[in-house]
Amino acid sequence: MITREDVENIAILSKLFVPEDEMDSLTKSMQEIVSFADTINNADTEGIEFDNINNLSNVFREDTVKESLPSKDILKNAPEQAEDHFLVRNHA
Amino acid sequence: MKYELVAGFETHIELGTDTKIFCSCSTEFGGEPNSHCCPVCIGLPGTLPKLNKKVVEYGIMAGLATNCEIANVSKMDRKNYCYPDLPKAYQISQLYMPLCNRGYVELSNGRKIRIHHIHIEEDAGKLIHNHGDTYVDYNRGGVPLIEIVSEPDIRSVEEAREYVEKLQQIMRYIGISDCRMQEGSMRCDVNISVRPEGSQELGTRTEIKNMNSITFITKAMEYEYERQVDLIENGGQVVQETLRYDDATNTTSSMRSKEDAHDYRYFRDPDLVTICVTDEEIQEIKNKLPELPQKKCRRYIEEFGVPENDAFLLTKYRNISEYFDKAIEGLKKPRTVSNFIIGQIFRILQTEEDKEAFDIKVTPGQLNELCKLLEAGKIQNNLAKSTLDKMLESGKPYSEYISEEDMAGLDEGFVDELCRQAIEANPKAVEQFKAGKEKAIMAVMGYVMKNSKGKANAQDVLAKIKAMIG
Amino acid sequence: MGYIEKIQSMLTHGEITCVELTKKYLNAIETANSQLNAYVKITPETALDTAKKVDEKIARGESLLPLEGVPMTLKDNISTCGIETTCCSKILSGYTPIYDAKVWEILKAQNAVLLGKTNMDEFAMGSSSETSCFGGAANPFNTDHVSGGSSGGVASAVSADIAVFGLGSDTGGSIRQPASFCGIVGLKPTYGAVSRYGLIAYASSLDQIGPITKTVEDASVVYDAISIKDGNDSTSVGSKEKTFDTLDSDIKGLKIGIAREYLEGIRDDVKEAVLKAAKKYEEMGAEIVYFDFPALKYALPVYYILACAEASSNLGRYDGIRFGYKTEHYNGTHDMICKTRSEGFGEEVKRRILLGTYVLSAGYYDAYYKKAQNLRGTIIKAFDDVFKDVDVILAPTVPMTAFKKGQATSDPVETYLTDICTVPINIAGLPSVSLPCGFNSKGMPIGMQIIGGKFNEAKILNAAYKYEQACPENFKDTKWGVKL
Repeated sequence: MITREDVENIAILSKLFVPEDEMDSLTKSMQEIVSFADTINNADTEGIEFDNINNLSNVFREDTVKESLPSKDILKNAPEQAEDHFLVRNHA
Repeated sequence: MKYELVAGFETHIELGTDTKIFCSCSTEFGGEPNSHCCPVCIGLPGTLPKLNKKVVEYGIMAGLATNCEIANVSKMDRKNYCYPDLPKAYQISQLYMPLCNRGYVELSNGRKIRIHHIHIEEDAGKLIHNHGDTYVDYNRGGVPLIEIVSEPDIRSVEEAREYVEKLQQIMRYIGISDCRMQEGSMRCDVNISVRPEGSQELGTRTEIKNMNSITFITKAMEYEYERQVDLIENGGQVVQETLRYDDATNTTSSMRSKEDAHDYRYFRDPDLVTICVTDEEIQEIKNKLPELPQKKCRRYIEEFGVPENDAFLLTKYRNISEYFDKAIEGLKKPRTVSNFIIGQIFRILQTEEDKEAFDIKVTPGQLNELCKLLEAGKIQNNLAKSTLDKMLESGKPYSEYISEEDMAGLDEGFVDELCRQAIEANPKAVEQFKAGKEKAIMAVMGYVMKNSKGKANAQDVLAKIKAMIG
Repeated sequence: MGYIEKIQSMLTHGEITCVELTKKYLNAIETANSQLNAYVKITPETALDTAKKVDEKIARGESLLPLEGVPMTLKDNISTCGIETTCCSKILSGYTPIYDAKVWEILKAQNAVLLGKTNMDEFAMGSSSETSCFGGAANPFNTDHVSGGSSGGVASAVSADIAVFGLGSDTGGSIRQPASFCGIVGLKPTYGAVSRYGLIAYASSLDQIGPITKTVEDASVVYDAISIKDGNDSTSVGSKEKTFDTLDSDIKGLKIGIAREYLEGIRDDVKEAVLKAAKKYEEMGAEIVYFDFPALKYALPVYYILACAEASSNLGRYDGIRFGYKTEHYNGTHDMICKTRSEGFGEEVKRRILLGTYVLSAGYYDAYYKKAQNLRGTIIKAFDDVFKDVDVILAPTVPMTAFKKGQATSDPVETYLTDICTVPINIAGLPSVSLPCGFNSKGMPIGMQIIGGKFNEAKILNAAYKYEQACPENFKDTKWGVKL
């Protein structure tokens, strides 16, 4: 059974803030979803190892340099930037 | 009570491929910020990784060079954690099925430091903190790494140093990394614990993260050893935690905060497919590996009779041993070459960096020719030495400095004449020699050598003089 | 005749210029979109520039590429260089990709006319398009109803004839379900047939791009154009054959399987329509075979565990540093990232991230993620076994018809249950085409899907095409859009 504490913990891992007043309803909704997921616990089979859909292997790239993009393009979508760097100010 | 140090290493080594692990951007060190970047390595939505074949090859080479078993099947996993230097909020790495398993590195005291596994992964970008603000440069993001994870087999700071140096030497030898610690292309995390001597149980360990100098590593380990022993002796307990070493104060401090509650939630990366390597492919890579330093060192000692210490110096850097191997071709006494390298060439290569680069003007072929003259008895040792010095300065072959006449050898009659003169000129010395003072004969010999301009063969001269004095 | 062929014929015969045609569509969008909310971004300049190029080409007497000059749309999770791409999430507001998705690169090279980007559930998580930060897209058959999801905008636009075709993405039914709700055709290709490069990931091992069209022929033409092996996507395979050549092949003797479990819990009108279609197939000489499929009961939980696990990882990168939304006030980097994410993601997305984090976290990984991964293997094996005996599988696309607006969002688990028919196909990576097979008493379209073995798109499109020819009455126009 997923607890309020579990939800708090996974919210930290997920880098999400959950407002105090939403905690209970979120926990409840998570409980419902998890108990729905729990139906696989009854699966009578141990299952078959799954690798990847088309069982592909060894898809490689050669070690040949291609030109990078200009840094102005790389930084184009940055909410904030300075001196060709992405910038995260300490406060805002 | 005496305490034993127990340490294990996680060593990150940047591979010297031309491109990053999952995109075709250059891995070149330096460059303007964010100038070696593309949508893939800054993790733009919708981008997908494409594995660089060379990274797998280099990883296998590292595994073979450290006696690992190479996995026929290995897979890439995602290690999830959120930090500004990690553009996708996960690092593509290997946990469940790494490329290499169960190897070891042998130390000079004969102990084997076991390697748990080696995996391939991507590096993170670089953060610059300035007055609390964070500047992010992703040039290094996506540069390929191998992580070599050792078992906790290291028992002293000296072993730690040797282990790191050995790894550095091996990786440089096989040419997969320059392992420059100051540039960050080799970094170590050290797990360290202490236990009463004789105990078989492991103590609680701490992990000192991200050290990029051997000096720091040894200092940090010494500090951490003392700290843990003090704690225990004063009735305290070691707390399992991650530490940062501060070289300015030579102390370690905790890195933990609530914000970095770590649970990496590893799972198979669905964007990448399985890596399969056949035994034939592994063998092929094995065949291409150069002879490793330890083996080479042993061979120099056993086959060529090179003194142990000299053999160690010759094999310390790949450039030197390669030079040596070329310069000894066809020689009966390879030691002539090792003596020249260690006695004379090292004199102009002051620093370790100079020795590693081994950038000298004399080619191995030129040194080989000079040694051949010596072996053939056409010139004498002193002349060879002074000639080599000149060659090292100019880069010109010996023929610039040694004439036909120099090599022609001396007329026997002329040497005999000189010997007679020498005996006449040094009656006192002759008397002394006859009286049993062996060394006195050197004065007589010196006369001959001087007047033959060093061309006479010292052994021959000695024999002649002794015969004449009767 | 498909709409694509018809338009190209009109263009080459000079009945209309591409610019005129494009303007017609742009005008129709202007009229219809305020009520349908199908488009979230209209790109008239790009569209008209391309149209001009096409007209010049025609004037030079050059022949047209398969999708040249055809007005179309892309779901807003397909990256378009220089054109805002948001996944209908606040967290990507203002984000303009600096590269093209592979599929858009292909279409662009063919001078397909991009009219705009279409509405979707935020990050493709939803069944009604209502989790979109722009609000849901309406159903052209009845605007009180949803168009479905997550590719609801594409389906709404194509159904309303304000786009000839569109590309959607299908992770658990997101192409087929809205196509079914809007009475049109949606093809979810085999995993690996179409490059995912540039598709903003929801669940990487399940996501697949595919066409949404009004006719089976159009789906075939678009699929043939985009199913190319792509070096940027390590999981890309491409297709083994052109589907167009065999569209009209005889289906006499075709073995069509129906899973008994697939007919359980299905609304009566839907069940009836599907069984009627089965009868039609029998009339055409196909053989219907019923079979049991017990593994089906694990499909939904397996899907939600795997999809959410992958999503929680894929959506970690939205941190306000490199692109997209960033919170205004914060104290320190950690606070900035958490606030940005909490403000930028909608409820459903957050719920799935949390669930995904949970099933991957220490102590739960084996019970959920690993077990689900193994059951995925079981389901794949079960389908493999079925395809030893049958050529294709016939099933309802959705257990119901399009629901009314606002109904989907109230209870998450109940909403998840509507995906029961579509998710098994994604789990197994199979191709499936949804096509209309009737209407309910209120005139809302009912859809069925034809599922094939891996890379058997030709076979399922052939079967779908034959049905379309036999039952044209199920393919209805709506009152909206451009009538050619």
